[in-house]
Parts: sequence; C-alpha cells; structure tokens
Amino acid sequence: MNRDAEAALLVGISVVAALGVALVNLAQGGNVDAQVALTFIVFLAALGGVHVSVRRWAPDASPFLLPLAGVLTTIGFVEVYRIDAQLGGLQRWWLLIASGLAVGLLALLRGPGVSVFRRYRYLLLVTAVLLLLMPMLPTAGLPLRGVVAGGSRLWVAFELGPVAIHFQPGEIAKLLLVIFLASYLGERQAVLAHSTRKIGRWSMPEPRHLLPIVIAWLLSFAILVVQRDLGASLLLFATFIAMLYAATGRASYVTSGTGLFFAGALIAAASFDHVQRRVTAWLHPFDDPQGAGYQILQSLFALASGSLSGAGLGVGTPGRIPAASTDFIFSAVGEELGLAGTVAVLATYALLIAVGFGIAIRSREPFRKLLAAGLTFVLGFQAFLIIAGVTRVLPLTGITLPFMSYGGSSLVANFLLLAILLRISHEEHTV
Amino acid sequence: MNGPIRRLAIALFVGFAVLLVNVTYLQAVAADRYRNDPRNPRVAAALTGKERGLIVTADGTPVAISVANPNDPSRFVRRYPGGSAYAHTVGYSSLLFGDEGLERVYADELRSKGDLTISDVIAALFGRDLRPKSLQLTIDAGLQQASFDALGGQRGAIVALRPTTGEVLAMVSSPGFDPESLLGPEAADVRRRLLDDPDEPLLNRAVGRTYPPGSTFKVVVASAAVETGLAGPDSVFPDPTEVSLPGSTATIRNYDRGPCVDGTQVTLDTAFRRSCNTIFAMLGMELGAATLAETAQSFGFGIALPLELPVQPSAFPTDLDEAALAQSAIGQRDVRATPFEMAAVASTIANGGLLMRPYLVQRVVDADGADVTVTEPELLARVVSPATAAIVAEMMEGVVASGTGTKATVPNVRVAGKTGTAENDNGPPDVWFIAFAPVEAPTIALAVLIEGGGDAGENATGGSVAAPVARQVLEYWLQDRR
Repeated sequence: MNRDAEAALLVGISVVAALGVALVNLAQGGNVDAQVALTFIVFLAALGGVHVSVRRWAPDASPFLLPLAGVLTTIGFVEVYRIDAQLGGLQRWWLLIASGLAVGLLALLRGPGVSVFRRYRYLLLVTAVLLLLMPMLPTAGLPLRGVVAGGSRLWVAFELGPVAIHFQPGEIAKLLLVIFLASYLGERQAVLAHSTRKIGRWSMPEPRHLLPIVIAWLLSFAILVVQRDLGASLLLFATFIAMLYAATGRASYVTSGTGLFFAGALIAAASFDHVQRRVTAWLHPFDDPQGAGYQILQSLFALASGSLSGAGLGVGTPGRIPAASTDFIFSAVGEELGLAGTVAVLATYALLIAVGFGIAIRSREPFRKLLAAGLTFVLGFQAFLIIAGVTRVLPLTGITLPFMSYGGSSLVANFLLLAILLRISHEEHTV
Repeated sequence: MNGPIRRLAIALFVGFAVLLVNVTYLQAVAADRYRNDPRNPRVAAALTGKERGLIVTADGTPVAISVANPNDPSRFVRRYPGGSAYAHTVGYSSLLFGDEGLERVYADELRSKGDLTISDVIAALFGRDLRPKSLQLTIDAGLQQASFDALGGQRGAIVALRPTTGEVLAMVSSPGFDPESLLGPEAADVRRRLLDDPDEPLLNRAVGRTYPPGSTFKVVVASAAVETGLAGPDSVFPDPTEVSLPGSTATIRNYDRGPCVDGTQVTLDTAFRRSCNTIFAMLGMELGAATLAETAQSFGFGIALPLELPVQPSAFPTDLDEAALAQSAIGQRDVRATPFEMAAVASTIANGGLLMRPYLVQRVVDADGADVTVTEPELLARVVSPATAAIVAEMMEGVVASGTGTKATVPNVRVAGKTGTAENDNGPPDVWFIAFAPVEAPTIALAVLIEGGGDAGENATGGSVAAPVARQVLEYWLQDRR
C-alpha cells in the first residue's frame, strides 16, 4: 500500500463520518444540514493535514497507521455526535486541534528525529510527574485548579475570564513516561538483562536494578490512593512492566510485577471503598442493580439490545448508559451497530496494535524499538482495559477508549502518540 | 528484544481474542436473556404504547384490547372491558408491575415484535409475522360475570368446567380489582392499597391457594369405596355419635354432634346425603391409607393439574396413621385443594370417571385471523370406571334432592352436588359446594369456595352459603343463558 491509497482511504473515512452524521440526523427526524458538510471538511482537513505532513516529513512512514486510527476516530465521533450533538461538535474541534498538534510534532521532529527526546528525557520525566500531580492543585482560588469528578481527581481546569478548559494531564503524562522509559531502558537494557544475583537456584536481578520497578509500583499505587484512579494506575504499572520485559526479556520482571500488582490489588480491594465497590459490581452486578451494579448492567443491556446487527445509528437508546460518550462509548457502539460494529472496532484495534508492534520489531535502534513497543502497548492495553471493563471481563476502570471516547486530552494524547509512531516507522524504514 | 516484544504483542492479541469471544457471547449467545431482562429499561420502553393482541371470550366478548392513546394516537393503551371479573384470569400488563395472568403467560404471543430494529426487519424478511397474536378463551362471558356477581364480593372463588372437554367455562376470584387501575397514573398507590388489603384482592384464589376441602372430599372417598368394591350406596354401617381415633384421645363427630340418623345403623347413601363424618371416618380407615391416597392422586391431588396459569398443587398426605387417615377422609387435617381441583373432581364424576385436561385458551389467532394453535380436548386420566362414576353421581344427586345441598336445586334440572364445611383453625369455616348438571348429560361442573364462611361467618355451612351461590351460577347456565 502506498501513500495515494492512504489518501484515498482518508477521503473515504471523511465521507463515512459525514454520512454517519447525516444518518443520525435523519434517524432523529432532522434534515441533512450544514453539520454534514462541516464534518466532512473537518475530517478531511484533520486527517488530510496529518497525511500531507507525513508526505513531507515522514515519507517512509507506515501508510496503515493513519487510516486505522482514522476509522476508530470516525466511529467514535459519530457515536458521540449521536449521543449528544453538541458534544460531537466539540469533539470535531478537538480532532482539528489534536491533528494540528500531531502535524506540529511531525514538523518539530523533521530534523532531529525522535532521538531528540533522549536528550530531554529527565525534563520529560519531571514534566510527567508534575502533570500527574496537577489534579492535586487546590480546587479553588487559582485560575489553574484541580477538579474532583466522580470521586476521582484526574482533571484540571484552567479558567481565565470567560475561557474555561478542562483537561486530563494524565493522558499526556502517560506519553511522556513511555518516552522516558524507552530512553532509560534502551541504555540500560544490557545491564538489566545480564546482571543477576543467584539466590539458591533462582537468579534474581540485582536489587538496585529492581529499584525502578518498585518506584513504578509505588507511583501507580500513589495514583490509586491519592487520585482514586484505578484505570490510570493499572495502565501505568502494566506499561512499566511491559517495557521492562521488552527491554530485558526477563520473565522475572513480569512475574514479580504481576505478584506486586496482585498484592497491591488485594490491599486496595480490602482498604478502599471505591475499589471494593468496583470489584463487587463486577462479580455480582445483579445484587444491586440500581446501585453499584447499575453502570455495568446498563452496559450489558445495551450490548445485548444491539445483538448482531445493532439497533441502527440514531435508533437505539445509548443515552441510558451512564458516561456513554466517554468510558462506555464501546457499549453505545455495541447497541447501535451491534456485534458487527463491536467486532469491527476490536479488529481495527488489533490491526493497529499489529502495525505498531510490527514497527517495533523491525526497528533496529533500541530506543526507537522500545518507544514503538511502549507506545503500542500503552494504546492497546488501554483499549483492552476499558473494553474489558464495559463488557464485564474485568472490573470497570474509568479510562477513555483511545481515539473513540469523547475528550480533548485523550484525543490530543493519542494523535501525538500516532505522530511519534509514524515518525519512528519513517526513521527505521519499516515499511 | 524482538522475542519479548513479540510475546507482548501475543499477550495483547490473546486479550483482544477474549474480548471478541465475550462480545460474541453477550451480543449473540446470551443477547436474548439480557435484552429481555426485566431490569433492562429498554424492554419496558419498547413495550409501552405498543399494540398488544386481543383477548376474547368463547362467545367473542373482548376482555383485553389495545386502543389508541387519546393523547398520542400513534401509541396504544390497554383496556380491560371485562373489569374485575377477569382481573385474575386474564390479568393485566403493567409497565410498572409487569404482567400477570394470561397476559403474562401469553406475553410473547400477545406482544408486537415489530420494534423496527434491523433484526426485526431481517426476521420479517424470513417470513416471521411480527404483529401481535390474539387469544380466544374457553370462558363464557355471561357465566364468568354471573359467577363473579354470585360471590357478591365475599372472599372466595368459582371454577366451572365443561366435563366432556375440560374447557374452563368460568374462573373467578373474589374480591376482584380493576386491572386498568394498575395501568393508570395512580397505579403505584392502587397497588400499595391492594397489597395492604387484608382480603388479598390480588390473589387468584381459584388456582393460587389451597384450602381443606372438607366434606366435598367425601366424593373421592366414596369413589374409592365403590371402585374397590368395599362398599356400595346400600352398604350398611353402624351409627355411633362419635368415632374415637386409634392412638389418640380425639374423636370425630358429626356437624350436629348427634348420630347420623337414629343411632342404630345407616346406609352409605344416606351418610353421603347427610354428610356424616362418623361413617366416612370409619370408611376411610377401612379403605386404608394406600387405597385412599391412590384414588386421591388419580383425581389430581399431589400434583398441580395442568392449566395455562400457574396452579398451586393440591395435597393428600401419604403414609397416614389410622387417626390421621380418619380425619383426612373427611377432608380435614392436611388435605388441601384448590377450587380448581375440586371442580375437576366434580367434572370427573360428571364425565363417567374421565378427567379431561382443563384449558383456558381455545385458540391463538394471528393478525390475519388464521389459527396458530387450537386446543383439542385431551383425556388426562381414567380416574374411576363409568359404573362407579354413575353410582357416585346418583349419590350426589341425592345430596341436592334431599340432603345437605337442597339449596342448590334448580327447577326442572337434575343437579348433583356435594357440600363441604371445612373447619379452620383461625376463624369461621371455609365453605364449599361442588356440583354438576344436568345429571343425564352434564354440560357444567363447578366448585364454589367461600373463605371464612363469607358474610354468614361462624354459622356458615356449605349447604347454607355455598350451595345458593352455586345455584345462581347453574341457573344462569341452564336457564337464563338461553
């Protein structure tokens, strides 16, 4: 597949987005109006903009990444628009901003390439930690303040006069941490992989090399305790472990990491109400159908009501699912597009992950290799976690579905992630 | 590093494979179960305002119809023109409280399946009819209303069967309630009031609760005695004032605490007509627990007789000692029967010993008026021989002609019947009358039960309270109806 095919696909995706809006309007008794044209133009501008900058600054990049991400963005946007047209309108502007930033990042990286990140890795780490801490700002008084939403502290509001922006700094921090880890582990992988200490028959990594994993565990646990964010905590920890494993090939990191995770999970389940509630709702949703089990049951009912072919865009009632446009967007898609839609979404994620890991495997330079693997993992694992949560495979964790959920921070973070992946695949000529 | 990265990729793919299997399970395999879960708000939302099928009686009187909502002509509301008389049998379909009665049992046939979803369209393409189906009942509208009126608001039930086919001609439970009141804006208050009412209007007494059948059970005992050849109508028994129960200080006495006739001796026929407990206690002990239990079972005790509605099983205890046997033989102790079961007993005797499978729904009809299913009469059990049935029928005729059931007499019609006055631990007796007519070619068999003696209270007997009610129903069926 070449760049022209990619361009054709992106035009097709923009048409699908516009037709989706038209369908929703018609199903809800409205007319085909300017929204349809606006959607087409914005999608074409956003995806086309990234496409053109790839042609200019990363011509050897994989042509699969952008169309796959575009498909997910489109399905997500149409469903968000269907649930709340106003929110959909906002999401459209966020898409423009996110792709604009992706274009900007590609432009920045055009000279030095992604290795520029290695020079600033400690700056990135500090920034990431600061971003993670930002929601802990006082909730009032300052223009920049923390926000408590749904019992969690994930949000930051910036208010200056009439301007009010809410964002989730954790989404960006996630990206920065992956970059830092790729750079840190890329240099130390040899040491980490080969220095061992024998304890009886078991060879263990040197204790000082275990330090990062312990720090990661403590950091994740702190997020869980202080910000009450189960999803971000689990996602970060799993990403740490995955990247350590990718860098060293030592299964002991995975086993000890999993052990630490379960220890942490048990402690958390025993001592925090919000974790306990989630677990109970997961195991016994029908015990309290109006309370703890409400969210997950509404999600399951929505999915089941969608059945094979779905109720049809604009014909279902995904509004009955709480947080349908964000965490539960997958269930909303499941209700309106049915099993056909959910399988398409899962397959698209799987393809995106396959392409991402393919870039990692074909890369030769350790940093880029790890970076590509880490970014792909964080994207794929996040999608897995939230879909598993809303379909009751795992307890529910409140995180966004990459590219699909409504939310500016999420969309921006994932488009930046995409830009970095595109750039790596260009630099490594992985096509 | 490629090995570990490959394994990470595989781990994620396994994860997504699990998700794929799981959504397939949720949206294909288990979809129906979740979709139709009453807690799924879509179910109620999808059904409100949708057209439901018509329910009509055997004579075509509509008792449940969907009419256009006056406030929103594109939607429907359910109406029950039959009112309280049908509240338990037809039931209701309420958004707030779910479905009851036949509305519940036939919910799937009665509801419209055209939800305009893509799956519906596909189903329609494959020839499935999505429109609601209608029910024609075996109930006779006039008889149903006459039965409900005859109870006059007293706590009780009447079940009438056509002995030769098993058609349920009437099934009422009293007190009733207006089913439409459970659909209206005050529904929640109405329901709370009905639930708090000590008369339990929501209970379907015809099939939903069992009572000691009292002396109506003597029909079963007499059948067993005649069928086994142990005794006939002319068999002679001693006539004591009381029968002492073996291994117990308790005794069995007659209703008036005297002997059955004159204290010398008495025939079974006379004892049956006068409903003498002493004689039937002795007869029961003579028959033995095994024989009596076997006969009771073949009449339907110990099982729930089949019907479209859920039926509380009637009970005859097994492994009885002599004392318990004697008490059971007069329909006391642990013998329990629904009015529906006792109607089946009367029907069996009326039909020459053959118990037909009772049914309420004559046919299910599709929206074009074509039959979907038609219920054919079906033999459920050969309970006793035609000869035995004829002998017991003759004894029952004697009850109405010159026994405890004279108040059930219908002029110019041969009526057979049996009274029952069942002692109650907590208050006035439950009174019964079971009957069929005309004896030469029965077209109706029925059971009347009035809880706690009805308006007569402590002094009520089956003959004084239940028999006149039965007479009103029989008179309607045999005379007024024509």
